[in-house]
Amino acid sequence: MSAANASSSVSAESVNIRRGLSWWQLLWRDKFAFVGAMWLVCLAACVIVGPELLGKEAGAINLRARNLAPGSLEQGWLMALGSDALGRSMLARLIVASRNTLLIALSSVLVAMLVGGALGLVAGYVGRNVGNVIMRLSDIVQSFPSLLLAVIVLYVLEPAVENLIIVLAITRIPSYLRVARAEVLEIRERVFVDAARALGGSRFHILWRHITPVVLPTLLTIMTVDFAIVMLAESGLSFLGIGIQPPEITWGLMVAQGRNYLSQAWWLAFLPGLAIMLATLAANLLSSWIRIVMDPVQRWRLEVGSHSGGIQRD
Amino acid sequence: MLSYLSRRIALSAVALIGLVVAVFFLARLTGDPTNLFLPIDASLETRKEFAQKHGFDRPVSEQFSRFVQQVATGDLGYSMRKQRPALELVRDAYPTTLKLAGVTLTLAIVLAVIVGAVAAYRPGGLFDRIGSVSSLAAASAPDFWVAISAILLFSVTLGWFPTSGLGDFPYWVMPVIVLMLRPFGLLVQVVRASMLDALASAYVKTARAKGVRERRVVFVHALRNACLSVVTVAGDLAVGLINGAVIVETVFGWPGIGKLMIDAVIQRDFPTVQAAVLVTATAIFILNIVIDLLYVTLDPRVRHQ
Amino acid sequence: MKEARAAFLIPALLPIALGFVTTNVQAADANMVTVVMSEEPEGLDGCNSNRSTVGRVTKQNIVETLTEIDPKDGSITPRLATSWSKVDDKTWRFKLREGVKFHDGASFNAANAVLAIARTMDTTSGGTKSRGTGGLDCETRTKSFGDLSIVGKAIDEYTLEISANKPVPILPTRMGVVSLSSPNTPTDKLVLSPVGTGPYKFKSWKSGQEIVLERFDGYWGKKPVVAKARYVWRSESAVRAAMVKVGEADIAPNIAVQDATEASMDFSYPNSETTRLRIDMSQPPLDDKRVRMALSYAIDREAIRGSVLSKDVLHATQIVVPSINGHNPALKVVPYDLAKAQQLLAAAKADGVAVDKQLEIVGRINIYPNATETMEVMMSMLQSAGFKVKLRMLEVGEWLDILTKPYAENRGPVLLQAQHDNNNGDAVFSVFNKYACGGAQSTVCNKQLDAQIAKASTLSGAERRSAWQEVLRIINEDIAADVWMYHMVGYSRVGNRINFTPSISTNSELHLEDITFK
Repeated sequence: MSAANASSSVSAESVNIRRGLSWWQLLWRDKFAFVGAMWLVCLAACVIVGPELLGKEAGAINLRARNLAPGSLEQGWLMALGSDALGRSMLARLIVASRNTLLIALSSVLVAMLVGGALGLVAGYVGRNVGNVIMRLSDIVQSFPSLLLAVIVLYVLEPAVENLIIVLAITRIPSYLRVARAEVLEIRERVFVDAARALGGSRFHILWRHITPVVLPTLLTIMTVDFAIVMLAESGLSFLGIGIQPPEITWGLMVAQGRNYLSQAWWLAFLPGLAIMLATLAANLLSSWIRIVMDPVQRWRLEVGSHSGGIQRD
Repeated sequence: MLSYLSRRIALSAVALIGLVVAVFFLARLTGDPTNLFLPIDASLETRKEFAQKHGFDRPVSEQFSRFVQQVATGDLGYSMRKQRPALELVRDAYPTTLKLAGVTLTLAIVLAVIVGAVAAYRPGGLFDRIGSVSSLAAASAPDFWVAISAILLFSVTLGWFPTSGLGDFPYWVMPVIVLMLRPFGLLVQVVRASMLDALASAYVKTARAKGVRERRVVFVHALRNACLSVVTVAGDLAVGLINGAVIVETVFGWPGIGKLMIDAVIQRDFPTVQAAVLVTATAIFILNIVIDLLYVTLDPRVRHQ
Repeated sequence: MKEARAAFLIPALLPIALGFVTTNVQAADANMVTVVMSEEPEGLDGCNSNRSTVGRVTKQNIVETLTEIDPKDGSITPRLATSWSKVDDKTWRFKLREGVKFHDGASFNAANAVLAIARTMDTTSGGTKSRGTGGLDCETRTKSFGDLSIVGKAIDEYTLEISANKPVPILPTRMGVVSLSSPNTPTDKLVLSPVGTGPYKFKSWKSGQEIVLERFDGYWGKKPVVAKARYVWRSESAVRAAMVKVGEADIAPNIAVQDATEASMDFSYPNSETTRLRIDMSQPPLDDKRVRMALSYAIDREAIRGSVLSKDVLHATQIVVPSINGHNPALKVVPYDLAKAQQLLAAAKADGVAVDKQLEIVGRINIYPNATETMEVMMSMLQSAGFKVKLRMLEVGEWLDILTKPYAENRGPVLLQAQHDNNNGDAVFSVFNKYACGGAQSTVCNKQLDAQIAKASTLSGAERRSAWQEVLRIINEDIAADVWMYHMVGYSRVGNRINFTPSISTNSELHLEDITFK
């Protein structure tokens, strides 16, 4: 043990690794992730104070200032990003819509990951019969066409934010479930799990402390792209006319409404689409950074001083 | 293997029945199709007659037993809206969607594996960064927006492709590319992530120590590992494609199953909804079984259970 | 691994191979006109011809009517009947055109006309099948006849007598919506391949893709220029407009106003639709006339015209367009007067009316282009006048449930976005349903109005016209039952290859015989 310690401290000095770097410093090391994180902080600010600050401007109809192009400050800073088909400020609407959009997306994805991941772990580990039952239930949900489920639920209930979250989460659960189960099936045969079992670990303990940390990164990868999928699914529902309805707004609804003006006022659909893209990109960059930091095998890439590309040869 | 297969099939059949029953009741919860079928100006008496004639005013349980009797004889109902048997409508719509989904998925997998593998070859490098960002951008663009913009740009302004409709090769280009964006984006991420995992593992280190060339290490050994993840995720994507082709079918005017289903729900055409769900669910169950089998064959560790 | 990879790829490659063996769509043809509509017709049976999705393909193309209604003023011209005369209140006699044949060879004569009418009215030949036991539910009967039933009788080979169960002064006009199909058409089910007497016969229908019609060589009238017509459908207006622009289609009968950007190709035409907000008068505070008037004063109709809606729409004052018999030209547009609206509200409030109660605008998604935006604008205008308003947009099915009786118990004060189209020449087709106490869409119950409506339906000629005008005056001046919006226009895009001028009925009938090549 001590020899290993000695050698690692020797190598630590010679390679100039500074252990105990703060999160902040680690984040700064990865410039892309840093920018992503800053953007997410901006979005969080929009979500928290946007509707209260700019709610009125987002709803201020002005039929004589319809479809103004973005890029000029002539009509005031609010119109810097142009105006929509009813003359309302695009900037204000984008900011106000962030709350509904991000709330729906975040909640759905989180719920889906937690429920789906947990069920997948159980299905993969606990035993063949339980696993089969869970998988068949998951098959039922998965083969229930997601749009169909959404349409039906939103007909029977109101197309309100809560119901949308439930519907979108339910349609995403099977993905996490399958992947989690597949990973568990693969991992549980590994040596370290055998060892833990031999050492007397309970099933729950093994699941939680040994298997979950290995499965989590894959789920996180899926989660970030799922984030976009949910935002886009919500937009697709608006396109079909069954999603969030005006006067509520989400970015997805703005894209769906803007599609009628693609050749005359391209910014109506482009800007909210861009907002969706940037939000997902930021989330993705941040999450890949989190993956690297959480994985002891990969973390050294950030802790070593320079950020050279390529695989280091031993 | 055989007992596993037969058990899977039996369980799937039960699940299928459960699904169809669920759809029956849920679809009817959306309301009564009388108003949608008759003209807006029809009188009250006409509506009552219509509902009576077609049994919409009977209690749901009675409608259900009638439905069960019909299904037992292989009759999935008659679509009043389109004046044809529901199963026929579904049967005609399916090939279109299957072909579209098949081509799209294949292309997405092939391209994603290539891009993901090259990105993992030099993680953090330029190709990796650009590849990640652009694949994520591809996965984040709203498909109907891309579809309509593509039509305006490539058909109207540039005249390279026809705007919409079914036909031979030129008619396929835009729909396939639009539908492919999201699965491609997701798959690139998955391939890259699992390859990076594999590249850090013990057996890869062993291969390197044995002096195997780096390119072979990456593109053969690590890729093998990635294939496993791709198989799992590709299964979900295939299902998602069948569901999600609705928008591409709607914009480009392809008469596929997605559009058929959504229109049927909105028009409260219950027989069509039921038939479409039944057929789709069967296809998905079969697909899942195939993927599970594939998974078992690919991963020797799982096989020896 | 290689085997597994191959195993995986092979089933995936199969679709690619199959993919390019696609069904062959009709190749473009110099003498063929392609029409791109917004949706696939639900069927093509002639007896559903007055449903616009069906009529666009069939009416006066495949199947014809005894008389043809001129959309400009509601007058009728001979088509399959050459002349007609009244026998008594409930009976008319029609002289049929001779030498007309159906596409399947059957002759058009009085006996076959009787069969065709019986089929449309859901009565078997020679008798009356009791309602509710089978039957076709033809749109012609359910939309335009209701409980009025007619029966034909052949007096001689080319003289047809039609009698009704109630007095019907405008029977010839009503026959303008009854399309006559071949006597060989099955009477127990709707057909997907209609057979009629029109200038075009049905050729093929590739489900989900296209419908093709071909010129009929045995047609009785002038031979039309277009030899073949192909109908396709795309749900996005931008796509339809693009198709005509690049030449993939020749006519798009209906595109959105913002896509109509090419002056050389785009025509706006009044499409006989009238839009309004239907006021649910039974729900307080909407039961107070001052509140209803205030709603109308609060709307700046000029601002909506030319912005969210086309600048060519006309201000509406009543449910029928000017070309319909019974239109009252004396009714005035309610001007935009915010102060007056607030004054009326204050007066109502002083009398204890609950003007602060929240009103609900219920809209229907895509009922017309920019429907949602229009409702948002109107909501904001009403809010500026001091109303408390919220908006709810609904899908067709739920909207229909609110439009038609029975109404929900606790529905609250609802302003319903609605649109009505009447291009059948007479106000009778609009008024009963929407304003009579027993009307299926009516929120009005006024004895005087009911009496006037009943009276007008029995009159004819000039008396009828002024009776209807009085009805409309009562509805709009005495009762103020609606917030009027506009007589709408549609936009068509016509390609550079052909000559075609859309008319008010283009939305529901597209006469191929009117198309010529440049």
